[in-house]
Amino acid sequence: MDENYSVSPTFKFIILGIVFVGIITIGLGLYINPEKTWANFLLSNYYFISIIVGATFFLAIQYITQSGWSAMFIRIPHAIGMYMPVAAITILFLIFGMHSIYHWSIPGVAEHSPEIEHKSPYLNIPFFFIRLVIIFALWILMTWLLRKTSLKEDHESNLKYFYKSEYYSKIYIFILAITFSLLTFDLIMSIDVYWFSTVFAVKNFVSGFYHAVSVITLIVILLNRNGYFRDLNKTHLRYFSRYIFILGIIWAYLWFIQYLLIWFANIQEETIYYVIRTEGKWKTFFFLNIILNWAIPFSILLPARTNANKLVLIFISIILIIGHWVDLYLQIMPGSVGEFNIGYIEIGVFAGFSGLFIFIVSRALGRIPLIPKNHPYLGESINLH
Amino acid sequence: MYNTEIRGPLITGDKTFHQVTEDICHPIDRKPGYWWYFVLLLCLGALVYGSWALKITVKDGIGSWGLNNSVSWGWGIINFVWWIGIGHAGTAFSIFLLILEQKWRTSINRAAELMTVVAVICAVHFPILHIGRLWDGFFIFPYPNTRGPLWLNFNSPLFWDVIAIFAYFVASSLFWYVGMIPDLATIRDRTTSKIKKAIYGFFSFGWVGSSQDWLRLETLNWLIGGLIAALVVSVHSIVALDFATSILPGWHSTIFPPYFVVGAILSGFAMVITLMIIIRKIYKLNDYITDSHLNAICKILIFISLIMGTAYATEIFIAWYSDNEYEMFTFFHNRVTGDYNKAFWVMILSNAILPQLFWFKKIRKNLTIVFIISICINIGMWFERYVIVVTSLTKDFFPSNWTDYSPTGVEVGLFVGTFGFFILCILLFFRYLPMISIHEVKGVLKYKINK
Repeated sequence: MDENYSVSPTFKFIILGIVFVGIITIGLGLYINPEKTWANFLLSNYYFISIIVGATFFLAIQYITQSGWSAMFIRIPHAIGMYMPVAAITILFLIFGMHSIYHWSIPGVAEHSPEIEHKSPYLNIPFFFIRLVIIFALWILMTWLLRKTSLKEDHESNLKYFYKSEYYSKIYIFILAITFSLLTFDLIMSIDVYWFSTVFAVKNFVSGFYHAVSVITLIVILLNRNGYFRDLNKTHLRYFSRYIFILGIIWAYLWFIQYLLIWFANIQEETIYYVIRTEGKWKTFFFLNIILNWAIPFSILLPARTNANKLVLIFISIILIIGHWVDLYLQIMPGSVGEFNIGYIEIGVFAGFSGLFIFIVSRALGRIPLIPKNHPYLGESINLH
Repeated sequence: MYNTEIRGPLITGDKTFHQVTEDICHPIDRKPGYWWYFVLLLCLGALVYGSWALKITVKDGIGSWGLNNSVSWGWGIINFVWWIGIGHAGTAFSIFLLILEQKWRTSINRAAELMTVVAVICAVHFPILHIGRLWDGFFIFPYPNTRGPLWLNFNSPLFWDVIAIFAYFVASSLFWYVGMIPDLATIRDRTTSKIKKAIYGFFSFGWVGSSQDWLRLETLNWLIGGLIAALVVSVHSIVALDFATSILPGWHSTIFPPYFVVGAILSGFAMVITLMIIIRKIYKLNDYITDSHLNAICKILIFISLIMGTAYATEIFIAWYSDNEYEMFTFFHNRVTGDYNKAFWVMILSNAILPQLFWFKKIRKNLTIVFIISICINIGMWFERYVIVVTSLTKDFFPSNWTDYSPTGVEVGLFVGTFGFFILCILLFFRYLPMISIHEVKGVLKYKINK
């Protein structure tokens, strides 16, 4: 049971190669088309931040609902959480690219626009980064505490650690509720500086949770195919797919609600957001977004025949990993770059960041025991039927 | 392998299967105490007041309410949304815990589902009465008619409401009833009175408890459960759309649907816990509704109230962020300060702040405080709807439209009447139906501590 994941050198080499490609692309991109590069830089950063937040939220939810089935897999969200400090560092590089993405950050803009002037006590570069630093400090602290407590439990069988984890989970959720909203408003919503929607942060939070669960599922299945998690059975898979299925419905619900209310009320300053996104080349992505993030997972995971199949779940997870990117592309690009154009920058930057993510997470998985010991629900999880 | 050591016991007192039946059927077998008749009398009083208000409303029309041109929705819609909210959680509770396989739902789901069905009936009174010409009420249903091209407006959220609530009512009463069939059969089999046997026999649909019966029951339960899980969300979302599709500041907000759903779950769970504490106290069912059950609901309340608090904060923040003078006025001059600020602060205090006291174990353990907080949440949720409806309507874009609003005795009467009806139904439920699901409790009876 106490098996450790080991990263093969070839795998490491390939991943580092991808990271290298990413760095090259960013360097080249900054020279050729800095605006687009910074927008993609933001996209990839936010992508993985929301995955980490979603994965650690998944962990916290398991603790507070006293779910037993998932006890075996908690090390995966822990490992994903280890990417948090890296994400915190990379996001700070944004300070060099603020003007390329955020219209409000350009000096002098506020004088010509009363709306931006009004927002300037909140939307200004120093305060923006102060918020980022505080938010990340809190997140890093909480994920570290959660991980540390769980690792201590491995060495000493004591329920005290379980209660501690539960307590930290509550605090983490409490912090997340407010901080993730602010982060999303700052990083994404303020790109379209005149536009606002109250459900925006909720929607992106659910989106992060949704896609993080699919990433966790993918990692579990891939590890299982490589000989780890030998106790993985159909019921576990069914529970994972149930999570994905339900979250998919909630994602679609929130997406629809935001669209419907803006379309229905037809207030100019709000509809402009969707007018741009349903015209021209953006239109393809507008529909692709719904197809990838809702229609495909919903229709495939609905029948009991398919929803506990490893290959199907791998397929769905990959679809969702692409879907999350499409969703974010549609949120970020129209307001910052302004034109639909997918080229080597998009692919290179995202590949680089995914490489970094995979590298950090796989290294983290190798460092901590893959299956927790002494977790009170471990027996329940292994013998799930 | 259900570990009850950490989660807390599901049923205490080392019951045998027979004892479970005895304990739960006890109130049905015997005559109720004096308190039952006393409360019944109170309910009938409330119903008399309600019927008077009903008569005036139907006879004299909506003019007997305190509404005016600006405030065209008052207590009617507030109470409607409030009742729907309460009606929401019973099923939300039952379904989500069923789907998430939380075993502790078994002792609570029956009463919670009843609460849903009754609260929805209470709720639909208000829009039906607000139609005014009650005799034309069937116009809200889309059917081929002799009125020529005059169909109802399919674009109207009010019409979606009719559909959503109707579907929700049918599905949740079905769910409640189907789950009760084996228990009705149990009562049928153990009663000695012939009349009772005939009545319970009829309503248990000839249940014999064969494995095929059970298989069908469970399949049906899962099927309806899956469907209702979606309905739970849709019904209150559509109630929220009644407001949010408008362009009125304070109503037009994209967060409204999820925020209404969560708010409904908050008020409903608060009502569930109120009801559970009462049942536990009166019928001494401590072994079934254990401390750990109430503890778990309290923890859920913390979480939901946290979401509510975040939603309030988001609304206020975005009102400022939008730099829209009407939004700013509604939130900062009309709600946070201004004529209705008391209602606003009652709402904040009892929905977002008081439930946070449940972080402390001592408070969760003290049932008196839990009871008081649960009542406060219900009052707070009522005020939330009051804040939304009244502040936005009394002061809209034109200062010349600004008016005040206060309800008349007729509106109050209708609300009191629905209360009477709600409590009456619960009393009858206590008296004639098993208030805890016997067969589901038996299903979890043997989960014992194992290391």
